This record gives sequence, structure tokens and C-alpha cells, in this order.
Amino acid sequence: MKFIVSSTELLGHLQAISRVINNKNTLSILDNFLFDLQGNTLFMTASDIETTLITSMQVDSAEGEGKVAIASRLLLDTLREFPEQPLSFDINNSNLAMVITSANGSYNFIGQNGDEYPRLPEMQEDAQSLSLSVPQLSSGISKTLFCTADDELRPVMNGVYFDIKDKEVTLVATDAHKLARFTVPYLNSSVTDEQQAAFILPKKPAAMLKNILPKESGEVNITFDNKNARFSLSKYTMVCRQVEGRFPNYAGVIPQSNLHRIILDRLSFVNALKRVSVFSNQASNLVKLDFSVNQLRISAQDIDFSISAEETINCQFGGEALKIGFKSSFLIEILNNISSSDIVLELSDASRAGLILPFEKEKDEDVLMLLMPMLIND
Amino acid sequence: MPGATRKIIHVDMDAFFASIEQRDHPEYRAKPLAVGYSGNRGVVAAASYEARRFGVHSAMSSRLALRRCPGLIFLPPRFEHYRAVSRQIRAIFEEYTDLIEPLSLDEAFLDVSKNHKNMASATRIAQEIKASIRSQTGLTASVGVSFNKFLSKIASDYNKPDGLFVIKPSDAEAFVEKLPIEKFFGVGRVTAERMHRMGIRNGLDLKRLTKAELVASFGKMGHVFYGYARAIDTRAVEAQHLRRSLGTETTFSENLTDNKDLLLCLQELTEELMRRIGKSEFKGRSLSLKIKYEDFKIVSRSYTASGYITESQTLFKIGRKLLQEAEVSKPVRLMGLSLKTAASNRSLWKSNLQLSIPFETFSVESQHS
Repeated sequence: MKFIVSSTELLGHLQAISRVINNKNTLSILDNFLFDLQGNTLFMTASDIETTLITSMQVDSAEGEGKVAIASRLLLDTLREFPEQPLSFDINNSNLAMVITSANGSYNFIGQNGDEYPRLPEMQEDAQSLSLSVPQLSSGISKTLFCTADDELRPVMNGVYFDIKDKEVTLVATDAHKLARFTVPYLNSSVTDEQQAAFILPKKPAAMLKNILPKESGEVNITFDNKNARFSLSKYTMVCRQVEGRFPNYAGVIPQSNLHRIILDRLSFVNALKRVSVFSNQASNLVKLDFSVNQLRISAQDIDFSISAEETINCQFGGEALKIGFKSSFLIEILNNISSSDIVLELSDASRAGLILPFEKEKDEDVLMLLMPMLIND
Repeated sequence: MPGATRKIIHVDMDAFFASIEQRDHPEYRAKPLAVGYSGNRGVVAAASYEARRFGVHSAMSSRLALRRCPGLIFLPPRFEHYRAVSRQIRAIFEEYTDLIEPLSLDEAFLDVSKNHKNMASATRIAQEIKASIRSQTGLTASVGVSFNKFLSKIASDYNKPDGLFVIKPSDAEAFVEKLPIEKFFGVGRVTAERMHRMGIRNGLDLKRLTKAELVASFGKMGHVFYGYARAIDTRAVEAQHLRRSLGTETTFSENLTDNKDLLLCLQELTEELMRRIGKSEFKGRSLSLKIKYEDFKIVSRSYTASGYITESQTLFKIGRKLLQEAEVSKPVRLMGLSLKTAASNRSLWKSNLQLSIPFETFSVESQHS
């Protein structure tokens, strides 16, 4: 088979899917991209068995059809060094010898038999479907992914939970210290109003989506059965295994009636936290928040190094004085994942979950972040 | 310092493994001897004083040891035997006190402030212990006597071998002032170099720095050094030495490069570690994988779980993940796996202060994997 492609366009597609490839594979065929030429369309696949990414692009002067597996590192290293130009690929289907011809030279590879590349899992017949807008999924993934756990003892938390009911889809992630919940109405779904359906998307494919979604627009169609999930976009398709098991009951842990409600300017809060937290104990990252009428005092100290810092910023708060401690790195991460310029803090007391909410809501999207405090001694 | 002056003894057996072998094999007495394997990949576990004169010391590769001392006799270690002798010595300690903190088979701290024989003189106790060790085991020990752990350990090192040295409270500060900085607890090669650059060569130099200066340069250890420079060390002799980690490692007869071989080895290490965990009832949350490459460069990767790692499947899964993270493109000569109670203060802090979301599902559920 033969075809001609733009070097940078090909590189862009391959780089996007190459992130799924593991550095070390027990199955050596997975070190390769699978190229599959069908008519004028070139399909490219990368996989780690659990997650598979497929992308496609139109090529010029296509002749013949076929499949070949090409060493991913060799190909990427070569493509990276070309300035934009057409490259011609010529692959001998019988012995898999491959030549790339550029303006100035030629590069010879030997491919591997494309039939050895693992096949995609088939979806079961009772698979459900769901479609939503690409920007909304993109926003949902990036606002929840940072809360996923890395916990071999509780694998169900190492992913983003998709909970579909009442014409809405809710994405939830938690590592048992912090939790993010994101809800949007979906466009279409096979899940009826009386039903509920759910699956857990593992961390790695979620991170792949976070990377690919900004390159896309329009709709994303999600198909899932009880084992796998498929995300279909205009240029990319991702198929992945779900995390098995039951996601913890997140709704039951979100406090409904936190008494204290404080409104803060998000950026001045984050910036003050960043400065003060430099002086927190390096192991605990503990910062103390002291709320009094319309004022927040942020303080931290590291007794080991005899250093301390404090800052006072304005806020809207009318209640009684309140003190609470948080791990500053968690709090900063949460605030960085909210887009609104003002935020609402809903607190109960120093040992109960605090809620962090955007003050101005994005259209149709409901965002809630929860953070457990750290105990303070005074 | 809390309360009355304590009486602490540090007992350090002289070339313990090598001395046992020389005692049991008269033909090797007064000869350079090393315990360990002489093969290409062996290391010296212990060296007799005769061998030390040639520059042979423990943890040295056997090849280098043989180069320094061509007539060096190698004996394979008999750890069960050494443990038995160690128990014999411990029985001697127990005649005086129950406050015994063993540091290894050949080293222990004893708090004899109160002792079973109601003896007032710690020096007298030290003399009796030395004599009993010699008469019951035929071995010699170096013993340090002082009023805290730091000083008693320095004292035992002062007159090695077969020494007995006492640092009295009235002499302590003067003694510490003259002490080279390398001899301080917690001062390794790197810290010693930093100290030298700061112009600190001995205890007196150290004493000239304020607490704030020491803390600024050495962090938490700054507080400790500040105390040491003033002959202060409040750490108690802890009779029940809590196990902090449990591990196993293996050096391959041939360097490994293939991922499959490494995984196979990981499987074996996992099983061995599980066996040891089962035997000791030790529980740990943090798993470390250690890899030594053919060029002797060592890397380690660790992972701290949210709870105790108790199942071999979980252990293997985490091990495999750590192996993925470590670069194994270079040939590997050694692989080790160890389980620790917690990775560091970091996770300790986390578990103490950071509250967790009270999910119902996880409060009672035992883990499936």
C-alpha cells in the first residue's frame, strides 16, 4: 500500500494517541502503532490492552489497502525532526518492508504483521448509549480528574464515576480526602427516565480524554456495557475497560446544611494561600483559616524550621468566628479547578466536610467540590 | 533533662561474626578472616581485626577485599549460629535490666538506672557484663557507660576493641567539645561535608551555632545537633524495638534485562515477603522496590497505600506498578522488596491530621482486589 501525508498532521495524530502506550510492554506488539489504510482513510491505533485509542485522517494518492504495525518510538522520533512537508509511505504488503520518502531522502523500516495487533473488544448487545457536548465533557473531566485516588487497596476510587439519571450525567471523583462532583444535562441517552446507569472510567483513559477533547468539537457519543466503554468523537475513538466494582455512595457524604456561608474572591484567596503555604510544615501542608466578620486570616507555621506566615483578606461573612484547618495543596488544587471569579465556602465546624462552590454558575453545569479538614490543635 | 541522671550502657561486640568463627575454628585465629561469600558478586559481612588492618571492612565487595588482602580467608555466614550467641549475650544483660534495646545482633543499649541487682555503679555493671560475656562466650565486647544514648555509644567506640570507657556528667561537655563532628550520631558523609564547609570540625564548633542557625541548615536534625553539642540526648532506651520494615532482596547470578524475568523475580520476592510477613505478624502500608543496576547504581520506588497491604495479590500488583516506574532498560543485578509501616513523616501526618470522608462502603468492607 502507498499514501502521501503531511508530516506535521500525521505527527499530531500520532502524538495524541501515543500517550496510551506503556514504556514497557510484556506484549511487544503494543510498542507499535497499527496503521490500517481503507480507501483514502488512514486509521491509526495505539493501545495498552486496557485502553485503545484510534484516530483517522484523509491521505492523498492512496493505493491498495492493508494493515501494518510500526514501531512507535522509531516513527515518532523520525517525524518530529521533519519540517512540514508531504511524506510518501510505501509499504510492501507481503514482506512488510516500508519506505518513507521525504524531499531529501528515504527512511527504511520493517513493519510487523498488523493481524497480530490485539482486536477491540465487542460491545454487548444491551450496551447503553449517551451523548453530550464535547466542551461539557471536557469541562467535567478536567474538573474531576484531579480528585481521583491512586489507591491499590480501593481500585474503584482510581477513576471518574459516570452516573446517569434524570436526564443528567454526573461525574464524580474522590480520593477519600477531597471529592469533585460535576453535573450536566445530556443530549441523548438510551437510559430511560425511570432507569439509572453508571460506570467507572479509569484514571488513564480519563487523562487521555482530557488531552484529546480540547482538539475536538460537537458531540461525543459514549457507549458502555458492564465491562467496556467507547467514546466516539469526530477524529478519535477511545475504547477502554471500566474499573470493576461499586463506587462509594457519594451523595450520602455531601453535607446538606452547612451553617456558615462565606463568599471570597477566588484569585486573591488562591494567591494568599500560595504565599502562606510556603511557611507550612512540609509534611502536613496545614494552613489555618480564621474567619471573623468579613475577614479571613490565613496562617501557617513550621515549628521544625521556626518559620511562620499570616495574611488577612476580605470576605463576605456575617457569622460567628470560625476556625478550620486544611491541607493547602488540596485547597489550592480545588480552587484552581473552579472557573468562577468568586467562590462560596460552606462550612460547618473544624472537623466536618467543607464545600467549595462557584458563585457564578456556568450555563447548565453544576459544580461542587468537597474537602475534609485537617485537625488543628488549638 | 527529665528527672534524675540516667545510667546508660552501650555494648558493642568486637568483630562479632568474625570473632565467633575464630573462636570456633582455632586454625583461623590471628589470621585475616572475612565472613561472606568470596565469589565475584559476594560482599564482606564482617571482617576480623587482622583483616581490618589490610583495609578490609564490612559491606566491601569480596573482590576488592581480596585485592587488599590476598591471603584473606572467607567463611560462609552462619546467621542462625550468630543469633544463638546473641541470645546468650542478651541473657547476660537480662540479669541486670529489662530495659534492653538491641540495635542488631551485636549491639544494644541498656538502661541500668534501676537494675535487678540494685548496683549503684554503672561502671561496675559494665565490668561484670564484659567479664560474663568473656567467660560465657569467649568473646570480647566494647562497652560505653554514660548518662544518655548518644554519649554511651560514643564511649563504646572510644577504646575498641575490648574497651570500657565512661563519660561522667561532669566531663561530658568537655568531651563533646573535642569530639570530631564525624563521630556524632546522625552525621553521615554528606552532613559531615556540609558541616566542614560551615567550618564545623568538632563539638565546640557546633556549640558556637545558635539553635536557629542549626535549624535553618539542618532542619529537624538541627534541634538534635543543638542538644548533642551540649551533651543532651533525651531519647529513652526502648525495650520493645518496634519493627518498622520487613524486606527481602536477591542478587541474580546473571544480570537480568528481560521484563518477563524481572516479573518472575518479583513474583518470587512477593512470595518470600509474604512468608516473612506471615511469620512476624508485621503490618505495613508502604511498599518499596529497590533495583541495583549492573553499574551498581541503585534506584528505589515506593508506594504508600491507604491501609495495610496484607494480600500477596495486592503486593504483587503494587510491585509491578513500581517496576513499571523504575527504568529497567539497563541490566539489573539486584532486586529487593520491602514493606514499611509508613513511608515517612509525610504519610504519618496525613494519617494523623487529615480527616477522611466517612464513606459507608469502606468503613467495614474488607478489601477485594
